[in-house]
Amino acid sequence: MRNVNVPRDGVPVTQAKDVAADPSLGKKFRLRADVVIVGSGGGGSVAAYELAKAGLDVLVLESGRYYPSSRFTEHLGDSMQLIWRDQAGQVNTSADVVFAEGQCMGGSTVIGGCVMQHPPDWVFQRWVDNHGLADLAPEKLAPYFNQVGQEQQVHVNESHEINACAHKVIQGCERMGFSWQPVTRNVKRCALTGHCLAGCPSDRKMSALVTHLPWASAYGARMFADTQVTQVRTRSGRATGVDAVVMDPDSGSEVARMAVDAEVVVVAGGAIQTPMLLQRSQISDPSGQLGKNLAVQPFTQALAEFPEDLHAFRGALVGVQVDEFFDTDGYFFYSGLAEPEQMLAQGYLGAGQDHIDFMKKYKRMAALNAFSIDEGNGEVQWEGDAVNGSKKIKWNPGRSEFENVKRTAALAARIFFSAGASRVYLPTYQHLAVDSVFDLDQTLDQVDYGLNGMYTFRMNSFSAQGTCRMGLDKYAAVVDPDGECHETKGLFVADGSLFPEPMPAPPQWTVQVVAKHIANRILERRDGLFIQGNSA
Amino acid sequence: MSESDKAAEEVARLGRRPFLKSLLWGGAAVAAVAGGSFAWLRRSGVDDEPVPDWVRHLHANEYHLMRRLIPALLPVAGTNLTPPEQVPVLRNIDHMMGLLNTTVRKDLAKGLVLMDNAAVVSGWHGKRLVDLEPEAARAYFDTWTRGNRIQRALQGVVKQFIYTSYWREPATWPPVDYDGPVTEEWGLEYLGNAPLPEADQEQSA
Repeated sequence: MRNVNVPRDGVPVTQAKDVAADPSLGKKFRLRADVVIVGSGGGGSVAAYELAKAGLDVLVLESGRYYPSSRFTEHLGDSMQLIWRDQAGQVNTSADVVFAEGQCMGGSTVIGGCVMQHPPDWVFQRWVDNHGLADLAPEKLAPYFNQVGQEQQVHVNESHEINACAHKVIQGCERMGFSWQPVTRNVKRCALTGHCLAGCPSDRKMSALVTHLPWASAYGARMFADTQVTQVRTRSGRATGVDAVVMDPDSGSEVARMAVDAEVVVVAGGAIQTPMLLQRSQISDPSGQLGKNLAVQPFTQALAEFPEDLHAFRGALVGVQVDEFFDTDGYFFYSGLAEPEQMLAQGYLGAGQDHIDFMKKYKRMAALNAFSIDEGNGEVQWEGDAVNGSKKIKWNPGRSEFENVKRTAALAARIFFSAGASRVYLPTYQHLAVDSVFDLDQTLDQVDYGLNGMYTFRMNSFSAQGTCRMGLDKYAAVVDPDGECHETKGLFVADGSLFPEPMPAPPQWTVQVVAKHIANRILERRDGLFIQGNSA
Repeated sequence: MSESDKAAEEVARLGRRPFLKSLLWGGAAVAAVAGGSFAWLRRSGVDDEPVPDWVRHLHANEYHLMRRLIPALLPVAGTNLTPPEQVPVLRNIDHMMGLLNTTVRKDLAKGLVLMDNAAVVSGWHGKRLVDLEPEAARAYFDTWTRGNRIQRALQGVVKQFIYTSYWREPATWPPVDYDGPVTEEWGLEYLGNAPLPEADQEQSA
């Protein structure tokens, strides 16, 4: 019997300021753990919880800062500057696609829109059939989905969680004959503030910050924020730990260097950061696929103006989804209009009077976020040395991907016109708005593919995946069905980077499920993995 | 080295910069570079104006450019919107500049030099952007909105800096009915950490 107490609020996290204030640590220090986990988001937090609960000595290292919910201001600008990676400016090499990502304790679970979607079974059946991932068959994953669903308090939006924005989408879908349904979200007693993207100050969003991280801590997991892992150390084909730098999050200056000795390393930094860490560490990769197959699930936001006031930014941020095209085309749509800054980041940018007129109509606007599945042809690369190098995210839409983005934007516009919109602002770098559905196609035809589709549609990605893909064949995949790197024993990946194919759904739920599966596999194999033994 | 010489050197090096290397592919970009070369002879009256002490990250030319563009891009006269001079737009822009990583910051600096100087020939204004009247400046932005991808990117970046720096201020929200933070005002109960899942609770009881 163990006495396990979850703190009422907050998580015990060692921060750069604590390291700086502790003379016993100095400028270089060494720690020992059974398992070191890199990243504290959806995957890392679940793995930490499961492994700590099983009695292993777990150490979690997070590059972002610890920003407890008591400090959230419900101001997107503040959050973007402090806990979004690169101040929400992480972009591809042509700087026209934004890759949104949380960089804080809890990672993207802290800044996401709370949407939890269970992908259809055919997605996982393809993983089995095409990549030999028998353990990830739909029937085997079902209990994991249930378990995570309960832990995350996932529920279908109730009627009071459907705001004016969502009602316009419903109205449009009904007239078009499109299928729609309320979204499933991981929120407990949602207070309908609409500030999900800035972090939930009353802890209703079931982010890792209030679930798996404090639970892991209650089971003894230790956590460091402000700690950038520079490389995974290996010896004779086995992971032996990591090297890291503790940085002051405000000044960016180095506070100390940390070395961690651990027999198991779990990397869960997400599909952008994880492959770059493995590249920096020169992990053996016979597949040649490390960093490749980047799928981004591009989305754009169509803004519609209605004749009446909607105040569509009030209420639950995401109310309904349009699932009419989910199985046939891989398109999916979510209602959701956030605060002015978010709209400016994604939407229409006129000059002068045009902008003033646009913003004066903010209360009459609704937004529909249009997602499409891409082909996974992007790539992430780390260039330069481990500390001072830089990242490169290479993704621009191919022609068919561009056409998909265009089609989703057109569908979103049609839904809004059917709901009675008087104008739809198109999500393009050109300055395009349409006042009638009859002008829509002609206007969209002004957006041509050009050079690699650059600076055409204002695309964003909240769901990068696929850069360390999982599979049975070590010449085709980076990690094996246990999530372990094919040629580096004890080095596991537990995030969206291991999805073997682009997935047409928001990934958080699946990431958490796969992380649970990988943690279980580590525990099942503990006799072989922890050869020096551990206290459990 | 004078500011003009620095600008000349920067423009000459643009072709080697990844962010802007494709600039040289577009006709409008050639005009922009040509505009830059004219501008070395075309100084502006604002070039010698002082910059406030609080400016930490904006270069002097950028400060003057943004200062002149704010009223052009945010013409709120005659509306109920908050006048931009009542909110710290420039301070916010300065702060945002300080958050950019070094590479992006350098590229942006070059882009802003280009955008400013290219107005001399782009649209045949005969003046730098910093010296254009608000109406002409807006027209210049509209032209760049329809331009090549680099022009579209640069005009978008400038608008985002100015608009975001304005709209992030709570004083700008009431006129558009945006509520801003509500948790405290509504007296929402703080729920804290979620309890352990039931299975764990039974195990540890």
